[in-house]
Amino acid sequence: MNILLCCAAGMSTSLLVTKMEKAAEAQGLTAKIWAVSADAVRNHIDKADVLLLGPQVRYLLPQMKKLGEEKNVPVDAINPVHYGTCNGPEVLKFATSLVN
Amino acid sequence: MPVAGRLAGQKHLGALRDGIALAMPMIIIGSVFLILGYLPFPHYAEFMANIFGEQWLTKLMYPVDATFNMMGLIAAFGIAYRLAEKYGIDAITSGVISLCAFLLATPFNVPFTPDGAKEMVEVGGAIPVALMGSKGLFVAMLVAMFSTEIYRFIVAKDIVIKMPDGVPPAVSKAFVALIPGFVVILLVWLLRLWVENTHFASLHNIVGDLLGKPLGVLGGSLGGSLVAIFLVQLLWSAGLHGMNIVSGVMDPIWLGATGENMEAFKAGHELPNIITKQFFDVFVNMGGSGATFMLVIAMLLFARSQQMKQLGRLSIGPGIFMINEPVVFGTPLVMNPLLIVPFLLTPMINAVVTYYGMDLGLVAKPAGIAIPWTTPPIIGGFLATGGHISGSVIQLVNLVIDFFVYLPFFIMWDKLKKKEELAMEQPVQETEKTE
Repeated sequence: MNILLCCAAGMSTSLLVTKMEKAAEAQGLTAKIWAVSADAVRNHIDKADVLLLGPQVRYLLPQMKKLGEEKNVPVDAINPVHYGTCNGPEVLKFATSLVN
Repeated sequence: MPVAGRLAGQKHLGALRDGIALAMPMIIIGSVFLILGYLPFPHYAEFMANIFGEQWLTKLMYPVDATFNMMGLIAAFGIAYRLAEKYGIDAITSGVISLCAFLLATPFNVPFTPDGAKEMVEVGGAIPVALMGSKGLFVAMLVAMFSTEIYRFIVAKDIVIKMPDGVPPAVSKAFVALIPGFVVILLVWLLRLWVENTHFASLHNIVGDLLGKPLGVLGGSLGGSLVAIFLVQLLWSAGLHGMNIVSGVMDPIWLGATGENMEAFKAGHELPNIITKQFFDVFVNMGGSGATFMLVIAMLLFARSQQMKQLGRLSIGPGIFMINEPVVFGTPLVMNPLLIVPFLLTPMINAVVTYYGMDLGLVAKPAGIAIPWTTPPIIGGFLATGGHISGSVIQLVNLVIDFFVYLPFFIMWDKLKKKEELAMEQPVQETEKTE
């Protein structure tokens, strides 16, 4: 499964990436997870199965959802509490639920 | 909230922000050479001259002119590119058209004073580097949007040169840009011819007088900055990336001020601006928007609830590099009626203290050196002021203030969390006993 995360600069989401990778490893899931800045999403979305936005850029959600519809990729914003506490397992679960 | 969302999603503002962001890495690279040219060590200049010759500084500034001083040129391309991308039209073609239109709006004259002459003369046939940098930023913005809108209009109306069947698609694609490109160049050319007959003489002068100066006064004043900070914090309190939204509007002004300071710093003149991009990145928002670095320190030192203890440990690493999403969403500072008070106040206090410290000459002003916004406190202040200890000292002063503003509110919040945790534990213990 390929999970693309996006925030303003792709920095704080990259924190979450490492936590999600660990969670995936613990569950025996093979997942490619990476974070990019909002303006780079267009160049990465083709490789993704799901796109998650950091809550601080959820104002981009309508725009990204439109892009996701074109590319047939589900898009949603991450729960702020899970985001703030860098809750890898929960966000991974959320991503998986969106794909299935 | 919906207003903020619409503002942030607005295509032109987004294109401005993302387009100018393209110049940022180059500006930072240029700043490295700038710092090396003006290290404030005694006898540094003589030392360098001894090793590299008399011309060392001129040569060291070559990369600065080619990076930092091309801010406007890069923006002319970048903004058009990003806007076209958002419209779903050919981005690179739009960028190139805008680039040429920007150069067309710029008179290829450079002021020059020949040896022995008293009067300055205009020399033709040279692209003025001064207008390619921060001074040309506003013209670049306007030209980029103007030319991309025309491009979009013409493509949408389907006014393109159609090639007969059998012509390779790559060939006909090359001709798609012809009509919109021609119209853009024609219009900018006519505009320039008209402006040359007015007392403004060049488009750069008009835009500077009518747009740049008033906006600069507004954005470059302490009052304007406090309003901007207040908005940023309010947006963050709603869980939105405030700086990203506000900087779409303010970056051209703040970066322009950075550029002006850089010019003055290079020339050894007094620095004209206090409020620059670095004023916010380096001095106001240590630890991230809301100056949360010392809130994290307070968490590490005084947290009694498990949640705040863990959050402190999680947030200190990113916090050192000015990233504070864990604190903002984890504490949370979002929609928090108690912690919103210091979250709004702290950066504003920092702005006032720093501004007056610099205005009274106690602290060196930001020297137009752009450092990455992720540069940790103390180091950042030293570098951004062109190597003045006072830059680090004011950061330290701000940190102490931040600590004491956040502390009482944090202690109250932590108590609430502790109470919550105890309440959660109670029933668990009871069930354990019954088992």
